[in-house]
Amino acid sequence: MSAAGAWRERAGNAALALALPVTLLAAWEALGAAGALRPAFFPRPSALAGHAAALLADGSLAAHSRATLGRLAWAFALAAIPGVTVGLAMGLSRRAREGLDPLFALIYPIPSVLFLPLLSFVLRAEGAALVVTAAITSFFLVVYTTMTGVQQIDRTVLEAAVHYGARGRRLFLSVLLPGALPHVFTGLRLGLGYTLIVVVAVEIAGAQRGLGALLWLSWEILKVDDMYVALAAIAVLGGVLMWALGALRARAIPWAREAGDAGGRSAGRGAA
Amino acid sequence: MTAPARPVKVAIRDLSVSYAARGERLLALDRISLDVPAGEFCCLVGPSGCGKSSLLRVLAGLVSQDSGEAEVRAGSPGHPPTAMVFQDHALLPWRTVLDNVAFGPENRGVPRAEREAHAREMLALVGLTRFAQAYPHQLSGGMKQRVGIARALANDPEVLLMDEPLAALDAQTRTLIQEELLRIWTDLGKTVLYVTHSIEEALLLGDRVVLLTSRPGRVKRIFPVGLGRPRGLEARASPAFGALTETIWGELREEVLRATAAERPEPRP
Repeated sequence: MSAAGAWRERAGNAALALALPVTLLAAWEALGAAGALRPAFFPRPSALAGHAAALLADGSLAAHSRATLGRLAWAFALAAIPGVTVGLAMGLSRRAREGLDPLFALIYPIPSVLFLPLLSFVLRAEGAALVVTAAITSFFLVVYTTMTGVQQIDRTVLEAAVHYGARGRRLFLSVLLPGALPHVFTGLRLGLGYTLIVVVAVEIAGAQRGLGALLWLSWEILKVDDMYVALAAIAVLGGVLMWALGALRARAIPWAREAGDAGGRSAGRGAA
Repeated sequence: MTAPARPVKVAIRDLSVSYAARGERLLALDRISLDVPAGEFCCLVGPSGCGKSSLLRVLAGLVSQDSGEAEVRAGSPGHPPTAMVFQDHALLPWRTVLDNVAFGPENRGVPRAEREAHAREMLALVGLTRFAQAYPHQLSGGMKQRVGIARALANDPEVLLMDEPLAALDAQTRTLIQEELLRIWTDLGKTVLYVTHSIEEALLLGDRVVLLTSRPGRVKRIFPVGLGRPRGLEARASPAFGALTETIWGELREEVLRATAAERPEPRP
């Protein structure tokens, strides 16, 4: 594909990605203006934008967002750091894999929100139970994708590395770790999304602050405009974080392209 | 062989190699003996599964033999005995071309400036100077295999092992790289053990062609290739070339038929 053709295709995709939500919002606005939607449940987007601006101005939206972001950061770190470590161990060592897998297979399918009551007894520190609950499922996602990442490394590449003298720590740093990284990033991406989902869910159940709490409390007293703003804020937060992780991936592993990304793939073609 | 006799670089004595396949041991090589003199370009030909790759893998230290010896006699200290060019190039996808080529010296603790300068020389030798900072996925198949060759050369081994390095390439690219390879071999004077399934390739490249039997592999016959160098199109069209091709194919054919009759899966020791 020519560079101009590739650029045009990407521009077209970006336009489509933008057009879809804009069309939905415009339809919502139009239906609201025509009186087809009850404002008590479905306030118009233009009205909600004004309300969001007010919540931003008085600092309450920022406070709730900070609370959610703080929990998210702790929970994600708690899932990602031990998750990658354990996943690498399970990928490298058959003993770790076969020793841990049965236990993990039992815990992983349990909806992690169900751990909240139990953890609230054990972890008395303020907010600790929420954070740990939100980390559980993501931890397993990161573990299993990282493990697969190590296991799928091309055998002949590994063999070549050993033949060219890489052993122990050098083999780990120059082959096993980079070879697993694309899968690790997939795991982190899944884990980040899942952590956000569970953080918001547990905020509904057990917090006074945070976007989940704002959403739920405002729903209970039928302040639907607060509820919609909370919903939008969660969406934006998730979108921005996913984008940031994607950017980090592109920087960390420039040699691994996303599936379907054809740009630059055949730079050297024809020069053989 | 013509005088003066060169010192033996690779000495293989009664080498037997087996591997496990579906619960049973299959014998890949059966008491093979072979001497390769220093500086020789030695081609190994044989039917699929005759253990020619196993021979290289023993020399490369990737598998160990059941019995016998496979010795690479060191000329000067500090050189690794072997460096292998793999059939599917086996480059590290996360390293740039330059870092791939410098990988062996890096693992031996050669300082960065020194190993990179050397790697650049090797890249120049295979005509890839401009692609030092590219990643393997940005290269064509032929270019990747050139990097594989440069990586092996950068390791400055006593013996260069090549396991069907050009088998996956198209005919034109193969011809170009064969020519380059001969030029490099002439310049550097390395001992080369080259596995191929193509008699034509073996005759274009080799000083000798070693024909192995079907599994378990033994040395069936060794053909000195008495053709002059360089071997361009004229050499290929010469009567001697044709006669040698016919003789080798006559003997190889029997082995291929025997291997096909045995109907065993391709070995992967």
